Amino acid sequence: MSNRRSRQTSNASRISDDQMIDLVSKLRQFLPEIHERRRSDKVSASKVLQETCNYIRKLHREVDNLSDRLSQLLDSVDEDSPEAAVIRSLLM
Amino acid sequence: MASADKLINTYVPEKDVFALHFLQSLSNLRTQNPLNSPDKSIDRVRKIKKAAYVSMARAAGGTSRLWSRALLRRAAKDDNKSVRFSRRKRKVTWKISSKRKRSNQRAPVVEEAAERLRNLVPGGGGMETSKLMEETAHYIKCLSMQVKVMQCLVDGLSPK
Repeated sequence: MSNRRSRQTSNASRISDDQMIDLVSKLRQFLPEIHERRRSDKVSASKVLQETCNYIRKLHREVDNLSDRLSQLLDSVDEDSPEAAVIRSLLM
Repeated sequence: MASADKLINTYVPEKDVFALHFLQSLSNLRTQNPLNSPDKSIDRVRKIKKAAYVSMARAAGGTSRLWSRALLRRAAKDDNKSVRFSRRKRKVTWKISSKRKRSNQRAPVVEEAAERLRNLVPGGGGMETSKLMEETAHYIKCLSMQVKVMQCLVDGLSPK
């Protein structure tokens, strides 16, 4: 449905700059606490985007680390330990 | 119809949906590769990582978000499988994306940062900047949910 809507625009970009700023400020909500110097809206928008990039990279790194630890943990589990029982009950 | 899409749809399912998908992925991994098989540890890590991303994409809405579709498509390409999308939707999305990108008229400083974001969000390359914002918001929420699930699993399995 959204594709049909966007097909209607021809030369102008789909939303105005004001709406863009609004969307970026909504995006800001999802980021952890960031330092902000509100000089101009354009500056803070690119700052938000920069923080977003950093946050995404941080999350990717965490996924990597956790995958690594999970791999070690899943392999080193004794067959008889309580952890094995937990895994078995979760995975069955 | 026009005013409804001003709000970003960022509905993200509950944590247990992510957990369930991830555990199912992990269990599939274990049935494919019994514990004593000669898998190198880096392969195991890579498989778990991939299971995490794929299960996250499925939990978060499967083929209904651009980033999850791009992620699943990339994963399927690795496995040399083909992913079934509803053909009509896919065709329109691709065609519109290339047109949309050409009409980007944001301030260059914003566009620069958006370009870096495009490299990080799956499927970002074909998105117009406003759509990119929406997809990024959803992607971030899902990623952080997935990280929480994995952290809980690690904490639960770690020796006391």
